[in-house]
Amino acid sequence: MSFSAGFLEFAVWTALIWCAISALALGAMLLRDAKSGSIW
Amino acid sequence: MRAVAERTIFLDPTLGWILLAGFSVLWVGLGIYWGRRNKSFEDHALAGRNVGLALGSATAAATWITSNTTMLAPQFALELGVWGMIAYSTASLGLMLFAPLAVRIRTLMPHGYTSGDFFRLRYGRATWAVFLIFTLFYSLTWLVSMAMAGGILLEALAGIDYVWGMTVILGVCVLYTMRGGLGAVIGTDFIQTLIIIIGIVITGFAVLSQVSVGEIHAELSANKPALLDVLFPAAIMAIFNNLLFGLGEVFHNNVWWSRAFAFREGVGGKAFFIGGLVWLPIPVAAGFIALASGALGVAVPSADMVGPLVIAQVLGTAGAIGIFIIVFCSLASSIDSLLAATSDLVTEDIWRRLLRPDASPAALKSAAQWITLALGLLTWALCAPRIGTLASVLFFAGPLVGAMIFPIITGLYWCSASTAGALGAMLLGAGAGLICYFTIGWFVATTIATAVSMVWMLAACALNRNRFDWARLKEDS
Repeated sequence: MSFSAGFLEFAVWTALIWCAISALALGAMLLRDAKSGSIW
Repeated sequence: MRAVAERTIFLDPTLGWILLAGFSVLWVGLGIYWGRRNKSFEDHALAGRNVGLALGSATAAATWITSNTTMLAPQFALELGVWGMIAYSTASLGLMLFAPLAVRIRTLMPHGYTSGDFFRLRYGRATWAVFLIFTLFYSLTWLVSMAMAGGILLEALAGIDYVWGMTVILGVCVLYTMRGGLGAVIGTDFIQTLIIIIGIVITGFAVLSQVSVGEIHAELSANKPALLDVLFPAAIMAIFNNLLFGLGEVFHNNVWWSRAFAFREGVGGKAFFIGGLVWLPIPVAAGFIALASGALGVAVPSADMVGPLVIAQVLGTAGAIGIFIIVFCSLASSIDSLLAATSDLVTEDIWRRLLRPDASPAALKSAAQWITLALGLLTWALCAPRIGTLASVLFFAGPLVGAMIFPIITGLYWCSASTAGALGAMLLGAGAGLICYFTIGWFVATTIATAVSMVWMLAACALNRNRFDWARLKEDS
């Protein structure tokens, strides 16, 4: 039994999009913390 | 190991030195700038216990992204296939499962500094001593393996001499950690996380612009079907061992406990969970590049350099610069955290508790800085001879850290957890794990250590009639 092309496609694209969203989310969280003066 | 130096160099050495110098100045400058507000040991070691969610989440992810994540994930994919990438991703569970523990730690020990404080107050001095031996062995071998990896990778990527590359990367991390303490480590971790993730996304999409996932799958089906096998035995066996090794690493080490103490109240649980979510896709995003090597026609003479080989093929010099920066940031984000957390552990648990109980906060901060320098020099002395087997010593630590998982979990949540239970669990678990390591193999050592430790710990809890008073953990600083 092998991993299908569809599964591999899903895993790779999800991982890359997830990474991109993570970077954006971290940036947004830092801006939010900066606005409220709670970075540290 | 010498063979690494003789292989293809991806980047012009002059460009490599310019990048190394540029990032070194940036990190040291930021360390000095952020270190200006540190007046006491608490400021230096725990960034004033006031780190917010954004920096907290990023530092949890960044510290867990080592050069192993960015370099070994492609190698895992090349050797163990799709399961290799997925197995590697399970290491993110260590961060996610530490999230509730971080909340509990902050609640039970509002004045705590290190994971050593927990063992000393919860289980007494004998267990504390065993913990210190285990954790210092693990921390030093991790530090040595990272610094050696730094020298080897900079040499392989840009032809920078091993000793010079290792010296610069270690020296830079020592300098900004000494000057800026945990605040500088956490601040630079944020920048390094963004650089690493953005770099991985860019290289991933660049590879997909050259070859589709369908083509990669077709090439693997034709030439390397084992890499697509759902029942690939070696990969499935590695999952449990890596998962438990990761859990043991995170649950016991002061790298993570110091962050639990440093994050603002209410932040720790969320930050570790988000850090785990940020980390989760990285082994797949970085690893699939290796699976594309066949479809792209890239010859891979050595599996450990498959990532740079594919990226250099797809993106040329820009790709080589990108992988150099990603590797440098991955190494720095782990080395600085280890230096800070280990020097704080030595300062608090040995210098303060055993040698100078009356030291002032300013004197402790100064001691922590000198201990960081001493730790850096010791690491350098161990790395300079380039003894390859030293880095592999890290694998011995698997049973040691696995044996500490249950003493920590039960010690944080069950008042029936006892000294006899914890001490016996750590010694029996580690002993059984090490025996299996040498008689069977690395892939079962941590699992056996954790299982033996768990059985002993749970039995001791069931038989213990004494109940621990949680207030004893609220020791004043």
